[in-house]
Amino acid sequence: MRIDAYITEYARKTPQNIALEEGKNSISYGCLDRDINIIASPLMDFKHCRFAILAETGIQYIKLLMAVYRSANIAIPLPIEFPKFSLELILDAANVNNIIVTDTQYSRFGENFFERFGTVIVVSNDTSLNILRKKIESETNNPELRLVMYTSGTTGTPKGVMLSDRNLVANAESIIEVLCITSKDKGALVISPHHAFGNSIIDSHIMAGGSIRIGNMNFIDSVFNLIGSGVSIFYGVPSTYRILLRYPDRFKKSFTNVRTAASAGGGMDRGIVKDILDLAPDLKILPMYGQTEATARLAYLPSEDVDKFVDTIGKSIPGVTLEVFDSECRSVEPNITGELVARGDNILLGYLDDEIATKKRIINGWLHTGDLAQKLPNGYIRLLGRKDDLIKIGDHRVNPREIERHIEENNKVSKVFVVPVPHELMGTAISLMVIPIEGTETDDLFAFCRKSLPGYLCPREILLIDHLPLSENGKISNRSIIEEYKHVKASV
Amino acid sequence: MEQIKNVIVDYLKANSFMDKGTNLEDNDSLTQKGVIDSIGLLELMDYISEKYSIEIPEEMLTPENFDSLQGITNMVKKLAK
Repeated sequence: MRIDAYITEYARKTPQNIALEEGKNSISYGCLDRDINIIASPLMDFKHCRFAILAETGIQYIKLLMAVYRSANIAIPLPIEFPKFSLELILDAANVNNIIVTDTQYSRFGENFFERFGTVIVVSNDTSLNILRKKIESETNNPELRLVMYTSGTTGTPKGVMLSDRNLVANAESIIEVLCITSKDKGALVISPHHAFGNSIIDSHIMAGGSIRIGNMNFIDSVFNLIGSGVSIFYGVPSTYRILLRYPDRFKKSFTNVRTAASAGGGMDRGIVKDILDLAPDLKILPMYGQTEATARLAYLPSEDVDKFVDTIGKSIPGVTLEVFDSECRSVEPNITGELVARGDNILLGYLDDEIATKKRIINGWLHTGDLAQKLPNGYIRLLGRKDDLIKIGDHRVNPREIERHIEENNKVSKVFVVPVPHELMGTAISLMVIPIEGTETDDLFAFCRKSLPGYLCPREILLIDHLPLSENGKISNRSIIEEYKHVKASV
Repeated sequence: MEQIKNVIVDYLKANSFMDKGTNLEDNDSLTQKGVIDSIGLLELMDYISEKYSIEIPEEMLTPENFDSLQGITNMVKKLAK
Protein backbone atom coordinates (compact mmCIF):
# COMPACT_ATOMS: atom_id res chain seq x y z
CA MET A 1 0.00 0.00 0.00
CA ARG A 2 1.20 3.51 -0.75
CA ILE A 3 1.46 6.09 2.06
CA ASP A 4 -1.05 8.41 0.37
CA ALA A 5 -3.64 5.61 0.34
CA TYR A 6 -3.81 5.86 4.14
CA ILE A 7 -4.90 9.48 3.74
CA THR A 8 -7.72 8.35 1.42
CA GLU A 9 -8.72 5.72 3.93
CA TYR A 10 -8.88 8.20 6.82
CA ALA A 11 -10.63 10.73 4.55
CA ARG A 12 -13.36 8.10 4.23
CA LYS A 13 -13.47 6.96 7.86
CA THR A 14 -12.76 10.18 9.74
CA PRO A 15 -12.92 13.02 7.21
CA GLN A 16 -13.24 15.75 9.87
CA ASN A 17 -10.16 14.70 11.83
CA ILE A 18 -7.28 17.13 11.59
CA ALA A 19 -4.32 15.73 9.66
CA LEU A 20 -1.91 18.66 9.53
CA GLU A 21 -1.49 21.94 11.39
CA GLU A 22 0.81 24.83 10.63
CA GLY A 23 0.67 28.21 12.34
CA LYS A 24 -2.97 29.25 12.34
CA ASN A 25 -3.88 26.83 9.54
CA SER A 26 -5.00 23.26 9.73
CA ILE A 27 -6.40 20.75 7.29
CA SER A 28 -8.61 17.74 7.81
CA TYR A 29 -8.06 14.32 6.23
CA GLY A 30 -11.00 14.94 3.92
CA CYS A 31 -9.67 18.25 2.57
CA LEU A 32 -6.10 16.98 2.42
CA ASP A 33 -7.17 14.04 0.28
CA ARG A 34 -9.11 16.32 -2.06
CA ASP A 35 -6.14 18.73 -2.45
CA ILE A 36 -3.77 15.84 -3.17
CA ASN A 37 -6.09 14.69 -5.96
CA ILE A 38 -6.14 18.18 -7.47
CA ILE A 39 -2.34 18.45 -7.49
CA ALA A 40 -1.91 14.88 -8.71
CA SER A 41 -4.25 15.25 -11.68
CA PRO A 42 -1.74 16.79 -14.17
CA LEU A 43 0.81 14.14 -13.14
CA MET A 44 -1.45 11.20 -13.91
CA ASP A 45 -0.34 10.76 -17.52
CA PHE A 46 3.32 10.38 -16.55
CA LYS A 47 4.27 6.72 -16.23
CA HIS A 48 6.51 6.19 -13.21
CA CYS A 49 8.71 9.26 -13.85
CA ARG A 50 11.05 11.16 -11.56
CA PHE A 51 9.68 14.39 -10.07
CA ALA A 52 11.84 16.78 -8.11
CA ILE A 53 9.91 18.55 -5.34
CA LEU A 54 10.97 22.03 -4.28
CA ALA A 55 8.88 23.23 -1.37
CA GLU A 56 9.44 24.89 1.98
CA THR A 57 8.60 23.00 5.15
CA GLY A 58 4.86 23.01 5.68
CA ILE A 59 1.47 21.59 4.74
CA GLN A 60 2.17 22.41 1.10
CA TYR A 61 5.28 20.23 1.00
CA ILE A 62 3.32 17.23 2.26
CA LYS A 63 0.57 17.79 -0.34
CA LEU A 64 3.14 17.90 -3.15
CA LEU A 65 4.91 14.78 -1.90
CA MET A 66 1.66 12.83 -1.57
CA ALA A 67 0.49 14.02 -5.00
CA VAL A 68 3.59 12.53 -6.61
CA TYR A 69 2.90 9.29 -4.73
CA ARG A 70 -0.76 9.32 -5.75
CA SER A 71 0.10 9.70 -9.44
CA ALA A 72 2.34 6.60 -9.06
CA ASN A 73 5.44 8.61 -9.95
CA ILE A 74 8.77 8.96 -8.14
CA ALA A 75 9.38 11.75 -5.62
CA ILE A 76 12.77 13.41 -5.23
CA PRO A 77 12.45 16.03 -2.46
CA LEU A 78 15.12 18.74 -2.60
CA PRO A 79 16.51 19.88 0.74
CA ILE A 80 15.79 23.61 0.39
CA GLU A 81 18.12 24.61 3.20
CA PHE A 82 21.04 23.66 0.95
CA PRO A 83 22.72 26.35 -1.16
CA LYS A 84 21.73 26.50 -4.82
CA PHE A 85 24.90 24.82 -6.09
CA SER A 86 24.32 21.79 -3.81
CA LEU A 87 20.81 21.45 -5.18
CA GLU A 88 22.21 21.60 -8.69
CA LEU A 89 24.65 18.81 -7.81
CA ILE A 90 21.70 16.73 -6.66
CA LEU A 91 19.71 17.52 -9.82
CA ASP A 92 22.70 16.59 -11.99
CA ALA A 93 23.03 13.27 -10.17
CA ALA A 94 19.29 12.56 -10.14
CA ASN A 95 18.84 12.99 -13.87
CA VAL A 96 15.36 14.38 -13.40
CA ASN A 97 13.22 16.03 -16.10
CA ASN A 98 10.23 17.14 -14.08
CA ILE A 99 9.74 19.44 -11.14
CA ILE A 100 6.80 20.45 -8.99
CA VAL A 101 7.42 23.59 -6.98
CA THR A 102 5.61 26.02 -4.67
CA ASP A 103 5.22 29.57 -5.98
CA THR A 104 7.32 30.83 -3.05
CA GLN A 105 10.29 28.70 -4.10
CA TYR A 106 9.71 29.43 -7.77
CA SER A 107 10.15 33.15 -7.22
CA ARG A 108 13.01 32.58 -4.79
CA PHE A 109 15.07 30.45 -7.18
CA GLY A 110 14.10 32.37 -10.32
CA GLU A 111 13.16 31.29 -13.81
CA ASN A 112 16.70 30.35 -14.91
CA PHE A 113 17.01 27.67 -12.27
CA PHE A 114 14.08 25.82 -13.87
CA GLU A 115 15.36 25.89 -17.45
CA ARG A 116 16.77 22.37 -17.18
CA PHE A 117 13.31 20.84 -16.66
CA GLY A 118 10.98 19.62 -19.39
CA THR A 119 8.03 19.82 -17.00
CA VAL A 120 7.52 22.64 -14.50
CA ILE A 121 4.38 22.77 -12.35
CA VAL A 122 3.98 25.65 -9.91
CA VAL A 123 1.52 25.19 -7.05
CA SER A 124 0.22 28.16 -5.08
CA ASN A 125 -1.06 28.18 -1.52
CA ASP A 126 -4.70 27.85 -2.56
CA THR A 127 -3.76 24.68 -4.51
CA SER A 128 -4.25 26.34 -7.89
CA LEU A 129 -1.83 24.96 -10.45
CA ASN A 130 0.20 26.75 -13.05
CA ILE A 131 1.60 24.30 -15.60
CA LEU A 132 4.45 26.29 -17.16
CA ARG A 133 5.35 23.43 -19.47
CA LYS A 134 4.79 19.74 -19.68
CA LYS A 135 6.83 17.16 -21.54
CA ILE A 136 6.25 13.49 -20.92
CA GLU A 137 9.33 11.38 -21.56
CA SER A 138 9.53 7.68 -20.87
CA GLU A 139 12.01 6.61 -18.20
CA THR A 140 13.41 3.31 -17.06
CA ASN A 141 13.34 3.04 -13.29
CA ASN A 142 13.43 0.31 -10.68
CA PRO A 143 9.75 -0.78 -10.77
CA GLU A 144 9.42 -0.54 -6.97
CA LEU A 145 10.97 2.93 -6.71
CA ARG A 146 8.78 5.55 -5.02
CA LEU A 147 11.05 8.01 -3.19
CA VAL A 148 14.66 9.11 -3.58
CA MET A 149 16.28 10.76 -0.56
CA TYR A 150 19.65 12.38 -0.83
CA THR A 151 22.04 11.80 2.04
CA SER A 152 23.79 14.86 3.46
CA GLY A 153 26.78 15.66 1.24
CA THR A 154 26.52 19.43 0.86
CA THR A 155 29.81 19.03 -1.00
CA GLY A 156 31.03 16.04 -3.00
CA THR A 157 28.88 13.66 -5.00
CA PRO A 158 25.42 13.27 -3.51
CA LYS A 159 24.02 9.76 -3.20
CA GLY A 160 20.33 9.10 -3.83
CA VAL A 161 18.81 6.44 -1.60
CA MET A 162 16.04 4.59 -3.46
CA LEU A 163 13.05 3.62 -1.33
CA SER A 164 9.92 1.65 -2.19
CA ASP A 165 6.36 1.79 -0.87
CA ARG A 166 7.16 -1.34 1.10
CA ASN A 167 10.20 0.37 2.68
CA LEU A 168 8.15 3.40 3.72
CA VAL A 169 5.22 1.43 5.10
CA ALA A 170 7.40 -1.13 6.91
CA ASN A 171 9.47 1.50 8.68
CA ALA A 172 6.42 3.58 9.61
CA GLU A 173 4.76 0.47 11.06
CA SER A 174 7.80 -0.25 13.22
CA ILE A 175 7.94 3.34 14.44
CA ILE A 176 4.22 3.35 15.26
CA GLU A 177 4.76 0.25 17.40
CA VAL A 178 7.83 1.58 19.21
CA LEU A 179 6.29 4.97 19.97
CA CYS A 180 2.74 3.62 20.45
CA ILE A 181 1.39 6.23 18.03
CA THR A 182 -2.41 6.36 17.73
CA SER A 183 -4.94 8.54 15.94
CA LYS A 184 -5.13 10.62 19.15
CA ASP A 185 -1.48 11.61 18.92
CA LYS A 186 -0.17 14.90 17.65
CA GLY A 187 3.45 14.79 16.53
CA ALA A 188 5.67 17.87 16.31
CA LEU A 189 7.62 18.25 13.08
CA VAL A 190 10.18 21.01 13.61
CA ILE A 191 13.04 19.39 11.72
CA SER A 192 13.40 19.27 7.96
CA PRO A 193 10.80 16.98 6.30
CA HIS A 194 13.05 16.63 3.26
CA HIS A 195 15.32 14.15 5.03
CA ALA A 196 14.76 10.67 6.41
CA PHE A 197 13.94 11.59 10.02
CA GLY A 198 11.37 14.25 9.17
CA ASN A 199 9.88 12.07 6.45
CA SER A 200 9.39 9.21 8.90
CA ILE A 201 7.45 11.50 11.25
CA ILE A 202 5.03 12.32 8.42
CA ASP A 203 4.60 8.67 7.38
CA SER A 204 4.09 7.22 10.83
CA HIS A 205 1.59 9.80 12.07
CA ILE A 206 -0.41 9.68 8.84
CA MET A 207 -0.53 5.89 8.86
CA ALA A 208 -1.81 6.02 12.44
CA GLY A 209 -4.50 8.53 11.41
CA GLY A 210 -3.15 11.09 13.86
CA SER A 211 -2.06 14.66 13.29
CA ILE A 212 1.18 16.51 12.76
CA ARG A 213 1.96 20.04 13.86
CA ILE A 214 4.50 21.56 11.51
CA GLY A 215 6.90 24.33 12.43
CA ASN A 216 10.60 25.03 12.55
CA MET A 217 13.31 25.82 15.05
CA ASN A 218 13.93 29.39 13.93
CA PHE A 219 12.08 31.33 16.58
CA ILE A 220 12.21 29.95 20.09
CA ASP A 221 9.03 31.58 21.29
CA SER A 222 7.08 30.02 18.41
CA VAL A 223 8.70 26.62 19.02
CA PHE A 224 7.69 26.56 22.67
CA ASN A 225 4.17 27.68 21.76
CA LEU A 226 4.02 24.85 19.23
CA ILE A 227 5.14 22.28 21.81
CA GLY A 228 2.61 23.56 24.32
CA SER A 229 -0.26 23.41 21.81
CA GLY A 230 -1.25 19.82 22.58
CA VAL A 231 1.68 18.00 21.02
CA SER A 232 1.99 14.51 22.51
CA ILE A 233 5.20 13.37 20.77
CA PHE A 234 8.07 15.73 20.13
CA TYR A 235 10.88 14.82 17.75
CA GLY A 236 14.30 16.39 17.60
CA VAL A 237 17.94 15.80 16.84
CA PRO A 238 20.27 16.24 19.82
CA SER A 239 20.99 19.85 18.89
CA THR A 240 17.23 20.58 18.90
CA TYR A 241 17.19 19.59 22.57
CA ARG A 242 20.38 21.53 23.30
CA ILE A 243 18.76 24.67 21.89
CA LEU A 244 15.50 24.17 23.82
CA LEU A 245 17.37 23.48 27.05
CA ARG A 246 18.86 26.96 26.93
CA TYR A 247 15.44 28.09 28.19
CA PRO A 248 14.75 25.83 31.18
CA ASP A 249 11.64 27.65 32.41
CA ARG A 250 9.93 27.57 29.04
CA PHE A 251 11.04 23.98 28.52
CA LYS A 252 9.46 22.92 31.78
CA LYS A 253 6.18 24.68 31.04
CA SER A 254 5.73 23.66 27.41
CA PHE A 255 6.65 19.98 27.88
CA THR A 256 4.15 19.47 30.74
CA ASN A 257 1.68 17.62 28.52
CA VAL A 258 4.11 16.00 26.09
CA ARG A 259 4.25 12.22 26.49
CA THR A 260 7.39 11.32 24.59
CA ALA A 261 10.50 13.15 23.45
CA ALA A 262 12.03 11.11 20.65
CA SER A 263 15.42 11.76 19.16
CA ALA A 264 17.46 10.59 16.21
CA GLY A 265 20.14 11.88 13.90
CA GLY A 266 22.92 11.56 16.43
CA GLY A 267 23.57 10.18 19.89
CA MET A 268 21.95 11.78 22.94
CA ASP A 269 24.47 12.24 25.72
CA ARG A 270 24.01 11.88 29.45
CA GLY A 271 24.05 15.64 29.94
CA ILE A 272 21.04 16.24 27.68
CA VAL A 273 19.08 13.35 29.19
CA LYS A 274 19.75 14.54 32.72
CA ASP A 275 18.81 18.14 31.91
CA ILE A 276 15.56 17.05 30.27
CA LEU A 277 14.56 14.76 33.12
CA ASP A 278 15.37 17.42 35.71
CA LEU A 279 12.85 19.71 34.03
CA ALA A 280 10.28 17.14 32.92
CA PRO A 281 10.57 14.05 35.14
CA ASP A 282 7.53 12.32 33.60
CA LEU A 283 8.60 12.76 30.00
CA LYS A 284 9.59 9.55 28.23
CA ILE A 285 12.87 10.04 26.38
CA LEU A 286 13.24 7.71 23.45
CA PRO A 287 16.50 7.85 21.49
CA MET A 288 16.42 6.16 18.09
CA TYR A 289 19.12 5.26 15.64
CA GLY A 290 18.93 4.87 11.90
CA GLN A 291 20.09 5.81 8.46
CA THR A 292 18.47 7.10 5.30
CA GLU A 293 19.51 3.74 3.81
CA ALA A 294 17.11 2.09 6.27
CA THR A 295 14.27 4.48 5.27
CA ALA A 296 14.78 6.07 8.69
CA ARG A 297 14.99 3.92 11.79
CA LEU A 298 16.89 0.77 12.74
CA ALA A 299 17.09 0.74 16.53
CA TYR A 300 15.70 2.38 19.64
CA LEU A 301 16.52 2.62 23.29
CA PRO A 302 13.47 1.86 25.47
CA SER A 303 12.86 4.90 27.66
CA GLU A 304 13.16 2.91 30.90
CA ASP A 305 16.79 2.18 30.00
CA VAL A 306 17.77 5.71 29.00
CA ASP A 307 19.49 6.39 32.32
CA LYS A 308 21.67 3.33 32.22
CA PHE A 309 22.28 2.72 28.53
CA VAL A 310 22.28 6.14 26.89
CA ASP A 311 25.71 5.39 25.42
CA THR A 312 24.10 2.56 23.37
CA ILE A 313 21.57 2.55 20.54
CA GLY A 314 19.52 -0.08 22.36
CA LYS A 315 17.93 -2.81 20.28
CA SER A 316 16.46 -3.27 16.82
CA ILE A 317 12.98 -1.94 16.06
CA PRO A 318 10.31 -4.57 15.23
CA GLY A 319 10.81 -6.04 11.78
CA VAL A 320 14.56 -5.35 11.69
CA THR A 321 17.44 -7.72 12.47
CA LEU A 322 20.72 -6.18 13.59
CA GLU A 323 24.01 -8.05 13.71
CA VAL A 324 27.69 -7.22 14.16
CA PHE A 325 29.90 -8.74 11.47
CA ASP A 326 33.65 -9.17 11.17
CA SER A 327 35.45 -8.45 7.91
CA GLU A 328 34.44 -11.92 6.62
CA CYS A 329 30.74 -11.24 7.23
CA ARG A 330 30.61 -13.59 10.20
CA SER A 331 28.64 -12.65 13.29
CA VAL A 332 30.94 -11.79 16.22
CA GLU A 333 30.61 -12.43 19.96
CA PRO A 334 29.52 -9.71 22.41
CA ASN A 335 32.15 -7.07 23.22
CA ILE A 336 34.02 -7.67 19.96
CA THR A 337 34.09 -4.74 17.54
CA GLY A 338 32.78 -5.25 14.03
CA GLU A 339 30.52 -3.52 11.51
CA LEU A 340 26.84 -3.08 12.28
CA VAL A 341 24.67 -4.73 9.61
CA ALA A 342 20.88 -4.79 9.24
CA ARG A 343 18.13 -6.52 7.34
CA GLY A 344 14.42 -5.95 7.12
CA ASP A 345 11.70 -4.58 4.84
CA ASN A 346 12.98 -1.05 5.42
CA ILE A 347 16.36 -1.56 3.75
CA LEU A 348 16.87 0.55 0.62
CA LEU A 349 16.43 -0.80 -2.92
CA GLY A 350 19.85 0.67 -3.74
CA TYR A 351 21.46 3.94 -4.72
CA LEU A 352 19.98 5.74 -7.71
CA ASP A 353 21.92 4.99 -10.89
CA ASP A 354 24.89 3.70 -8.89
CA GLU A 355 25.24 -0.05 -8.85
CA ILE A 356 28.79 -0.04 -7.57
CA ALA A 357 27.87 1.89 -4.43
CA THR A 358 24.82 -0.37 -4.00
CA LYS A 359 26.91 -3.54 -4.12
CA LYS A 360 29.28 -2.13 -1.52
CA ARG A 361 26.48 -1.39 0.95
CA ILE A 362 24.09 -4.31 0.40
CA ILE A 363 25.85 -7.66 0.62
CA ASN A 364 23.75 -10.84 0.63
CA GLY A 365 20.71 -8.86 1.68
CA TRP A 366 22.45 -7.20 4.63
CA LEU A 367 22.80 -3.43 4.74
CA HIS A 368 26.35 -2.64 5.83
CA THR A 369 25.87 0.52 7.87
CA GLY A 370 29.51 1.63 7.94
CA ASP A 371 29.16 2.04 11.72
CA LEU A 372 31.51 0.16 14.01
CA ALA A 373 29.67 -1.55 16.84
CA GLN A 374 29.78 -4.04 19.69
CA LYS A 375 26.98 -6.17 21.07
CA LEU A 376 26.63 -5.94 24.83
CA PRO A 377 25.84 -9.09 26.85
CA ASN A 378 22.21 -7.88 27.24
CA GLY A 379 21.82 -7.64 23.46
CA TYR A 380 21.99 -3.85 23.25
CA ILE A 381 24.39 -2.37 20.75
CA ARG A 382 27.05 0.24 21.32
CA LEU A 383 28.38 2.27 18.42
CA LEU A 384 32.08 3.00 18.16
CA GLY A 385 32.28 5.52 15.35
CA ARG A 386 32.37 5.25 11.59
CA LYS A 387 34.35 2.55 9.84
CA ASP A 388 35.69 5.30 7.58
CA ASP A 389 36.87 7.18 10.66
CA LEU A 390 39.50 4.61 11.60
CA ILE A 391 42.88 6.31 11.51
CA LYS A 392 46.06 4.60 10.44
CA ILE A 393 48.97 5.59 12.64
CA GLY A 394 52.21 3.93 11.62
CA ASP A 395 50.86 0.46 10.92
CA HIS A 396 48.21 0.56 13.61
CA ARG A 397 44.55 0.97 12.80
CA VAL A 398 43.14 3.15 15.52
CA ASN A 399 39.55 4.01 16.40
CA PRO A 400 39.55 7.64 17.55
CA ARG A 401 36.18 7.25 19.32
CA GLU A 402 37.61 4.55 21.62
CA ILE A 403 40.57 6.74 22.56
CA GLU A 404 38.24 9.64 23.27
CA ARG A 405 36.09 7.52 25.54
CA HIS A 406 39.13 6.14 27.39
CA ILE A 407 40.47 9.64 28.09
CA GLU A 408 37.03 11.02 29.03
CA GLU A 409 36.36 8.21 31.49
CA ASN A 410 39.64 8.69 33.35
CA ASN A 411 40.12 12.45 33.46
CA LYS A 412 38.46 15.66 34.57
CA VAL A 413 37.09 16.71 31.19
CA SER A 414 33.71 17.22 29.56
CA LYS A 415 34.52 15.99 26.05
CA VAL A 416 37.59 14.86 24.14
CA PHE A 417 38.07 14.81 20.37
CA VAL A 418 40.92 13.07 18.61
CA VAL A 419 42.23 14.96 15.59
CA PRO A 420 44.37 13.13 13.04
CA VAL A 421 47.32 15.38 12.16
CA PRO A 422 50.17 14.81 9.70
CA HIS A 423 53.34 13.33 11.17
CA GLU A 424 56.74 13.12 9.53
CA LEU A 425 57.47 9.55 10.54
CA MET A 426 54.17 7.85 11.21
CA GLY A 427 52.23 9.53 8.45
CA THR A 428 49.54 10.44 10.91
CA ALA A 429 49.61 11.28 14.60
CA ILE A 430 46.91 12.62 16.88
CA SER A 431 46.18 15.89 18.61
CA LEU A 432 43.37 16.43 21.09
CA MET A 433 40.68 19.04 21.34
CA VAL A 434 39.14 19.12 24.78
CA ILE A 435 36.05 20.78 26.20
CA PRO A 436 37.17 21.50 29.77
CA ILE A 437 35.29 21.44 33.05
CA GLU A 438 36.45 22.90 36.33
CA GLY A 439 39.75 21.27 37.20
CA THR A 440 40.79 20.33 33.67
CA GLU A 441 44.59 20.58 33.38
CA THR A 442 46.30 19.96 30.06
CA ASP A 443 49.43 18.85 31.94
CA ASP A 444 47.42 16.13 33.66
CA LEU A 445 46.00 15.01 30.32
CA PHE A 446 49.44 14.79 28.75
CA ALA A 447 50.65 12.82 31.76
CA PHE A 448 47.67 10.45 31.55
CA CYS A 449 48.19 9.83 27.84
CA ARG A 450 51.90 9.20 28.25
CA LYS A 451 51.21 6.75 31.04
CA SER A 452 48.21 4.87 29.72
CA LEU A 453 48.42 4.98 25.91
CA PRO A 454 51.05 3.54 23.58
CA GLY A 455 53.67 6.08 22.48
CA TYR A 456 52.28 6.53 19.00
CA LEU A 457 48.95 7.69 20.48
CA CYS A 458 50.48 10.42 22.63
CA PRO A 459 48.90 13.69 21.50
CA ARG A 460 51.13 16.23 19.75
CA GLU A 461 49.12 19.04 21.29
CA ILE A 462 46.03 19.59 23.38
CA LEU A 463 43.72 22.46 22.50
CA LEU A 464 40.88 23.62 24.72
CA ILE A 465 37.61 24.40 22.92
CA ASP A 466 34.21 25.57 24.12
CA HIS A 467 31.70 23.85 21.82
CA LEU A 468 31.09 20.57 20.04
CA PRO A 469 32.68 20.18 16.59
CA LEU A 470 29.39 19.50 14.83
CA SER A 471 28.98 19.24 11.09
CA GLU A 472 26.28 21.14 9.20
CA ASN A 473 23.82 18.36 9.85
CA GLY A 474 24.70 18.21 13.53
CA LYS A 475 26.88 15.13 13.54
CA ILE A 476 30.37 14.50 14.84
CA SER A 477 32.85 12.70 12.60
CA ASN A 478 36.54 12.94 11.77
CA ARG A 479 35.60 15.42 9.09
CA SER A 480 33.73 17.78 11.41
CA ILE A 481 36.51 17.45 14.02
CA ILE A 482 39.21 18.28 11.48
CA GLU A 483 37.16 21.26 10.27
CA GLU A 484 36.88 22.59 13.81
CA TYR A 485 40.57 21.99 14.42
CA LYS A 486 41.43 24.09 11.37
CA HIS A 487 39.18 26.88 12.68
CA VAL A 488 40.80 26.78 16.09
CA LYS A 489 44.31 26.79 14.63
CA ALA A 490 43.47 29.64 12.28
CA SER A 491 42.15 31.77 15.12
CA VAL A 492 45.19 31.24 17.39
CA MET B 1 18.91 53.31 13.53
CA GLU B 2 20.98 52.94 10.35
CA GLN B 3 23.94 52.16 12.54
CA ILE B 4 22.32 49.15 14.19
CA LYS B 5 21.26 47.86 10.80
CA ASN B 6 24.78 48.15 9.43
CA VAL B 7 26.21 46.30 12.41
CA ILE B 8 23.85 43.40 11.71
CA VAL B 9 24.56 43.36 7.99
CA ASP B 10 28.30 43.45 8.67
CA TYR B 11 27.92 40.55 11.06
CA LEU B 12 25.94 38.52 8.50
CA LYS B 13 28.55 39.20 5.83
CA ALA B 14 31.57 38.63 8.09
CA ASN B 15 30.19 35.26 9.19
CA SER B 16 29.38 34.24 5.64
CA PHE B 17 25.64 33.97 6.19
CA MET B 18 25.29 36.02 3.04
CA ASP B 19 27.45 36.92 0.08
CA LYS B 20 28.97 40.36 -0.20
CA GLY B 21 26.73 41.01 -3.19
CA THR B 22 23.41 39.94 -1.64
CA ASN B 23 20.87 42.72 -1.54
CA LEU B 24 18.80 42.58 1.61
CA GLU B 25 15.80 44.86 2.00
CA ASP B 26 14.80 46.03 5.46
CA ASN B 27 11.69 43.88 5.56
CA ASP B 28 13.00 40.78 3.77
CA SER B 29 12.59 37.55 5.71
CA LEU B 30 16.03 36.34 6.79
CA THR B 31 14.87 32.76 7.11
CA GLN B 32 12.82 32.59 3.91
CA LYS B 33 15.59 34.19 1.90
CA GLY B 34 17.85 31.44 3.21
CA VAL B 35 20.20 33.95 4.84
CA ILE B 36 20.10 32.37 8.27
CA ASP B 37 18.88 29.20 9.99
CA SER B 38 18.01 28.34 13.58
CA ILE B 39 21.59 27.87 14.79
CA GLY B 40 22.63 31.03 12.96
CA LEU B 41 19.81 32.97 14.64
CA LEU B 42 21.04 31.86 18.05
CA GLU B 43 24.56 33.01 17.21
CA LEU B 44 23.26 36.33 15.94
CA MET B 45 21.22 36.73 19.10
CA ASP B 46 24.27 36.09 21.29
CA TYR B 47 26.25 38.58 19.25
CA ILE B 48 23.61 41.30 19.53
CA SER B 49 23.12 40.71 23.26
CA GLU B 50 26.80 41.17 23.87
CA LYS B 51 27.31 44.03 21.47
CA TYR B 52 24.49 46.13 22.92
CA SER B 53 24.65 44.76 26.48
CA ILE B 54 21.02 43.74 26.36
CA GLU B 55 19.20 40.65 27.47
CA ILE B 56 16.65 39.36 24.98
CA PRO B 57 13.79 37.60 26.77
CA GLU B 58 12.73 34.43 24.98
CA GLU B 59 9.17 35.65 24.44
CA MET B 60 10.70 38.23 22.12
CA LEU B 61 12.27 35.55 19.92
CA THR B 62 9.48 35.71 17.39
CA PRO B 63 9.46 36.19 13.62
CA GLU B 64 8.18 39.77 14.10
CA ASN B 65 11.27 40.70 16.10
CA PHE B 66 13.90 38.53 14.53
CA ASP B 67 13.14 37.69 10.93
CA SER B 68 14.10 40.99 9.30
CA LEU B 69 16.65 43.75 9.63
CA GLN B 70 13.83 46.13 10.51
CA GLY B 71 12.48 43.81 13.20
CA ILE B 72 15.86 43.27 14.84
CA THR B 73 16.70 46.96 14.71
CA ASN B 74 13.41 47.92 16.37
CA MET B 75 13.90 45.28 19.02
CA VAL B 76 17.43 46.41 19.84
CA LYS B 77 16.25 50.01 20.11
CA LYS B 78 13.47 49.02 22.44
CA LEU B 79 15.68 46.90 24.67
CA ALA B 80 18.67 49.23 24.73
CA LYS B 81 16.62 52.05 26.22
